[in-house]
Amino acid sequence: MASTEAPAAVAPAAATERTPFSQHLWQAGTVLALIALIILFGALRPEAFLSFGNVRNILAQIAILAIIAAAQTVVMVVGDFDLSVGVTATLAGATAAALMGDGTSIPLAILAGLVVGTLVGVVNGVLVAYMNLSAFVATLATLTSVGGLAFIVTGGTTLYGMPESFFSIGQSRPFGIPLPIFFAVIVAVAVWVVLRFTTLGRRWYAVGGSAEVARLSGVNVRLARFLAFTVAGFLSAIGGIILVSRLGSASATSANNYMLLAVAAVFLGMTILRSGAANVGGTLVGVGIIGVMSNGLNIVGVSTYFQQVLTGIIIIAAVTLSALKSRDR
Amino acid sequence: MTTALQPGVVGAPPALEAAGIVKHFDGVLALGGAGLSVRRGEIHALLGENGAGKSTLIKVVTGLVAPDSGEIRRDGEEVRFSTVRAAHGAGVVALYQELSIVPTVSVAENVLLGEETPSRGGVVSWRALNQRAGEQLARLNQRIPLRKLAGELSPVQQTMVAVARALATDARVLILDEPTASLTDTEITDLFAVLRRLRDEGVAIVYVSHRLEEVFELCDRLTIMRNGETIVTKPIAETTIDEVISTMVGRPHGLLYPARDTATSEVVLEVSGLTGSRVADVSFRAHAGEVLGIGGLAGSGRSELLRLLAGAQKRVSGAITVAGHELPHSLGVGRALDAGIALVPEERRSQGVILGDSIQDNIAVANLPAVSRAGWVSNRAIAKIARSALADLQIKARGPRQAVGHLSGGNQQKVVLAKMLSRRPRVLLMDEPTRGIDVGTKAEIYRLIRRLAANGTTVIAVSSELPELIGLSDRIVVVHEGRVSGEVPAADADEETLLSYCYGRTA
Repeated sequence: MASTEAPAAVAPAAATERTPFSQHLWQAGTVLALIALIILFGALRPEAFLSFGNVRNILAQIAILAIIAAAQTVVMVVGDFDLSVGVTATLAGATAAALMGDGTSIPLAILAGLVVGTLVGVVNGVLVAYMNLSAFVATLATLTSVGGLAFIVTGGTTLYGMPESFFSIGQSRPFGIPLPIFFAVIVAVAVWVVLRFTTLGRRWYAVGGSAEVARLSGVNVRLARFLAFTVAGFLSAIGGIILVSRLGSASATSANNYMLLAVAAVFLGMTILRSGAANVGGTLVGVGIIGVMSNGLNIVGVSTYFQQVLTGIIIIAAVTLSALKSRDR
Repeated sequence: MTTALQPGVVGAPPALEAAGIVKHFDGVLALGGAGLSVRRGEIHALLGENGAGKSTLIKVVTGLVAPDSGEIRRDGEEVRFSTVRAAHGAGVVALYQELSIVPTVSVAENVLLGEETPSRGGVVSWRALNQRAGEQLARLNQRIPLRKLAGELSPVQQTMVAVARALATDARVLILDEPTASLTDTEITDLFAVLRRLRDEGVAIVYVSHRLEEVFELCDRLTIMRNGETIVTKPIAETTIDEVISTMVGRPHGLLYPARDTATSEVVLEVSGLTGSRVADVSFRAHAGEVLGIGGLAGSGRSELLRLLAGAQKRVSGAITVAGHELPHSLGVGRALDAGIALVPEERRSQGVILGDSIQDNIAVANLPAVSRAGWVSNRAIAKIARSALADLQIKARGPRQAVGHLSGGNQQKVVLAKMLSRRPRVLLMDEPTRGIDVGTKAEIYRLIRRLAANGTTVIAVSSELPELIGLSDRIVVVHEGRVSGEVPAADADEETLLSYCYGRTA
């Protein structure tokens, strides 16, 4: 997707095709919204919002959302979506935590968490790609069952008692920057590289563009969709395990909220491309908007309940704007 | 009862009359002075090739489409139907095969759909509803359980329910579009009995069908359309199937087709006993450098035949051999492409191109092995393939990165072709290669096809346009209800012979 992957800010291909200025404004709109938010909060509370400590704080907060949103991006590139990314992260983290509590070594416990998350993705992939269930029905079902499994694994309580060295994954700060940010960057870059430079990424985008065209072009559509869900399960598990390490505890619902936020971030990100396809760069902008807004509203003193209301409104606004944009075309 | 020579009620004005109907779609003439005159108490066949304008005319007289000019009269009075509801109100009802019933509600509710539901204080009175529905079905001599879900009925029962509903709204003019397409012989007999009964009650029936034998068995008079005009209306008793076919045909050859003589005797594709959905026991051979035309009516299985060959549809039995190598039974599009069979599908916008993607990305989708190494895609290789395709096929675009959705239909079709030709197929399958394309690009595509053949490619093209089939092909195979009904060298083919094969009249 050479032409479609380029972030709106540069977009050389678009320029040679004499895109009207208003079109650029549309595409840049989401990025401008992020900048506007930063300026707004910076002006309201310069000393609290723009401090090094707070910026670091924002980045640490959005790192896990970025990882789970990257997982959601992959699924949305193939034209599906995954309601279970949040609970999958929760279950993966809880599994690792429970095993460590029982004395399993850290690497083995992490591996087990990753395997569990990947397995959830495999189940989603089989249901959607090979048994032809709609992604909504299939992932709603796994959302419910996996959510239940998380309660079983944690016994309904919050798990502590993991070894101190495990916490370094989520809490250490090499060069003064929280380690989860590094993980988020690695995941985002990896997903970006796969989407842009591999045949798998090409197949994913083709399936998302038109599954029938892809099939008649020789793409194994079922396999492509299956792999997308599997990858999403694996990435969600990474996010969930890092979250448990950062919090120092694992509950039965710790990462569940990330699902909606991840969907919101991907939707926001889809608006920056003319084709309206899901893309990692846009998703990160979306994650940034959500993180900055949440942090800024906290500083200004708006309640978290109201933040939730605002998140919904932002999703509606983003989707409406991108619909308007595609109607203009 | 009616007599053979003067069927229907002659003295009174026609139940439905349309005259001088003209209709353009986006500036293209669809109807140019079409007419139809149906009497009370007759079954009137409306005939014509695909694209002759039958459907448009029906849409005009049922209020779905507003004509540019022309008159519609109902029992002699001029009417103007702005909506389907208005046409219903005047007693004109059309039944389409697919849209006629609501499968998830009961038979009785279907019969009375659109009518006021019998109720008391907002609560449905099921007894009254079932009784009224039962009366309508009894009129048709049908015993269909009223409480059954309509979706559980057999096709003929569903048709009956649809007819009963039309009668419940007091239809005096009933238009049936291909009502027998999915019926068995005994079911057809049943349906005909009901239609004759309605005719004898004075209902005017318009019967649209591609099955000429049925038309001659059932109908009293016929109207033949061609190129959006009504050519003739006459009693069935005064004509023959052969005469009808030659009246339906008869367009001048408007295009220059390139010279043939590129076919060789080297067999590239051999198909034997190929069977799948809508395709039964098809066998043929195609040679290097040959353009093989496939004819047949819509729904004859011609498209499915191509899809089976391309691995896009499940094969039940039969063998496909390319250059001496038999292809595996579970084929799939990927394997078929690897074996050298490529398909340019029928529906360009939904099957051929991803409209939002660029030209080069569309071409790349089918050529990933050629532009990648160990799973890594080279954007430079993609651009190179795309640029040579743009030049080769003379695709009019600003560049390989332009979105396909912004191109004209003809150039979109060239992108689909480019995508498949980049695979260098031995056998190129094309389903309706020039549908919805302007005349100039059509001629270009004909020349391109012949150029490919000259280079040894085998081209197999499905077309519903007979002149195209004859002008383009070296040899023509015609399918009818999934089977080969005839084969002729194109040099000896004429439209009448082909059309009679299309209607299943084997030589």
